[in-house]
Amino acid sequence: MSAIDISPDLPSKARAKTISARIWSEAFASTEFRIGLIVFTLLVAAASLYPWLSDVDPTKMNIRAKLSPPILMGEGWSWSHPLGTDQLGRDMLARTLVGLRYSLLIGISTTILMVAVGAMIGLFAGYFGGRVDTVLMRLTDAQLSIPMIILAITILGVSRPTIPSIILVLGLAGWPVYARVMRSTVMAERKKEFVRGAMVLGATDWRIMFTLLLPLVLPPLVFVAVLDIARMMIFESVLGFLGLGVQPPTPTFGNIIADGRKYLMNAWWIATMPGVFLVLTLTSVNLMGAALERARNKIYAGA
Amino acid sequence: MSLDMVQTKTLLSVRNLTVTLTGEGRDVLKDVSFDLAPRQILSVIGESGSGKTVLARALASWLSEPLAVTGGEILIEGRDLLKDPAYARTLAGREIAYVGGNPAGALDPTMTVGAQLVEKLRAVRPEISAADAREKAIRLLEAVKIPAAERRFHEYPFQYSGGMMQRAMIVDALMSDPALLIADNITQPLDVTVAAQILKLMRELNEDFSTAVLFICSSLPVACDAADEVMVLHDGRVVERQAPDALIDTPQHGYTHKLIEELPTLWAEGRDQAQPQDRDRRAIMSVRGVAKHYETRSASGKALVQAVRNVEFDVFPGDNFGIVGESGCGKSSLMRLLTGLERPDAGSIFFEDENVGEASPKRLRALRRKFQLVLQDPYGSLPPQSAIGAILEEPLKIHAIGNRAERRDRARAAMSEVGLPTDLYDSLPTGLSAGQRQRLNVARAMVLEPRLLIMDETLSALDQTEQGKLLNLFERLQAQHGFTYIFISHDLTMVRQVCSRIAVMYLGETVEVAPNERLFFDPGHPYSRALLSAAPTLEERRYRPEDCLMEGEPPSPIDLPPGCAFAGRCPQAFDRCLTENPRLRSRGGQALAACHLNDPGES
Repeated sequence: MSAIDISPDLPSKARAKTISARIWSEAFASTEFRIGLIVFTLLVAAASLYPWLSDVDPTKMNIRAKLSPPILMGEGWSWSHPLGTDQLGRDMLARTLVGLRYSLLIGISTTILMVAVGAMIGLFAGYFGGRVDTVLMRLTDAQLSIPMIILAITILGVSRPTIPSIILVLGLAGWPVYARVMRSTVMAERKKEFVRGAMVLGATDWRIMFTLLLPLVLPPLVFVAVLDIARMMIFESVLGFLGLGVQPPTPTFGNIIADGRKYLMNAWWIATMPGVFLVLTLTSVNLMGAALERARNKIYAGA
Repeated sequence: MSLDMVQTKTLLSVRNLTVTLTGEGRDVLKDVSFDLAPRQILSVIGESGSGKTVLARALASWLSEPLAVTGGEILIEGRDLLKDPAYARTLAGREIAYVGGNPAGALDPTMTVGAQLVEKLRAVRPEISAADAREKAIRLLEAVKIPAAERRFHEYPFQYSGGMMQRAMIVDALMSDPALLIADNITQPLDVTVAAQILKLMRELNEDFSTAVLFICSSLPVACDAADEVMVLHDGRVVERQAPDALIDTPQHGYTHKLIEELPTLWAEGRDQAQPQDRDRRAIMSVRGVAKHYETRSASGKALVQAVRNVEFDVFPGDNFGIVGESGCGKSSLMRLLTGLERPDAGSIFFEDENVGEASPKRLRALRRKFQLVLQDPYGSLPPQSAIGAILEEPLKIHAIGNRAERRDRARAAMSEVGLPTDLYDSLPTGLSAGQRQRLNVARAMVLEPRLLIMDETLSALDQTEQGKLLNLFERLQAQHGFTYIFISHDLTMVRQVCSRIAVMYLGETVEVAPNERLFFDPGHPYSRALLSAAPTLEERRYRPEDCLMEGEPPSPIDLPPGCAFAGRCPQAFDRCLTENPRLRSRGGQALAACHLNDPGES
């Protein structure tokens, strides 16, 4: 009873906007979303502009200034290296920002590839069921049974470990989870009455899958996928550790952390700085994602 | 109970009970006072939102946030439950039993029904031994007329039908010999014939077990049937309490008066519809010997469920054709066949001379412009995250009709035609009431300007008043656009009001097809008569349930008897019915029935 009583007398002005516009404005109104947006924008701007604007070369070695700590963080710091230098005297700020650029590129495109492949396979398997489902799901099981590292060693060992090939390998290793989740949610949604309603209206399978079901089941999946961006950055560093990642001297978070590991006792900042940036990036993305999700739920629940 | 001897004493007395919705400060129940004597059956009736269920829960000490009792007392044998929660706890489930309207949700699917009953009894009365509890459960299962109770005791809830589950829930409530049984909407989800049996059962149990019953329901005829006295609840207040006959003859309160007036009647004369059809017209939809079966797994390997067996009827342009039958009779399967969602195993379905059952998927999509379906569930049938305007434009987009602006105009036009404010165009259907949602569903179906609209239980989720409004809307739309309607429904009163011709289905077969008047005044099949006898109505019945229906439930569609499917429940069945399945035969004047009794040689 109470649920019905609340909604009708909302001002009709708010109603005149389309649903997606209302979700965005609702999300934008929250403080979390703004903080997330500001931090994320700053990071992306820094990553894309700083290495290009400043004349500091992230690969330029300066052995005399090696292992100098960040500002005010120990003896021998200097203004020329705000975040300190690594074991070869390279500027950590420049390295971290360039690393952020590559890591973001790898993390985000791998996740997109993973979600796209997984969602498509899950969508088809869940929607059509029967034989299509069996074939696609056995394919998924087969993929799951191959350890990712073995797959990566095989593929990257044969071809050169370039950034596109790394993205491809990581993306192809990660999709089965998404395919399974997608399949089960699509299977549940597919049985609902509104899908039958659309069929009776004369909608094709294609139309039902992509305009009706996909917008419904994709958002929760994307929300989980944001967390996977970080996981993929870490995986890239695992590959880097095996020598199959992005090749030095190009800095990525993976190989900066791998290098810094050896100096953790006396130069903690080498391994820490990429970590700090990773935390900042992901926190800002998650803040935006959570605010969006909350706005979505609020609008769809009838506000 | 020691209460048996003092018949005049009150068992339960409620004084000035007020229940408040704490968040909003709104009173759901206001100053409710009434008494209930031992062994009495009292019906509580009111529309949805009148506080019936809240009352039931307050009595069962089962109110939860944000509802709270803010005044008054609930006295059981003179002791106030509200002041003494410990006493209330000892009574709940023991002296006060509660049966709800959702038996499938109340039974634990992982335990056998018997084990649940025994556990329930031992939980409230630990002194009873398991063997005694078991014996009692079986005795009670027999008392509620569950066939082969000994065997059924060991079965799981999913092996029970809806009616049997409801009976098991009644046993569950009676296990502890309660003094008061609160029955909250127990007949709502059941079919009329099964509901009639449950009502009969309640009365018998009331006599045998001397239990007072508070019978809560939303249908006036059912309430009057069930009880010694009827209490009318309106907007949280008791407005009236009288014996059923007196209530109907001389209602004291305006609201009761309105309730009785709005009640549709089955046998009132002088309807202005059901004009004779001229036979020369071509049928718009013609169904011939359609059958459909589904495979399921049973204990002995695969089994065939014969959902639709032998359906035949014609629908003429401008007709309001009704298809009635109880749940499980194949109405929904038939709907899926008629709309081409599934293809029949045998027979043919012609829509304007095209076989829907064999049309290519592409052709079928094109055909769908001309026949549309309005689904049953107002909540599940709309895509949850599309705006109302987008929902209405979708069918136009699917069939590539018009450009953006034209589609927008047509959607708005459809909205105003079904009575939805057009400024809801960009909002979600979330805030709409069930009635508005069904209007939206109708608008979506008619935006393509089809010729035939199939209504699959479209009105069954709505209350009386809203049903009336939508029926008027249907009539207006029919006059404007020349639609033909097929109403699939279990509600005889609704069908009686609107349909010109009616098909009665039983276990996948059409057993009778007849014009409205003929079906209600001269049914040609014993099952139609049984349905009519069980329909809840305040009128004087033309058919008495005792004469028309024998105990029992329909046979399972997995192993059907060789003869007439209704023979097992038919009081007039004879030898031939058990061996030979009758076919639809004309009884003159457009009426067809499938019963051996209509053969000139028989009866």
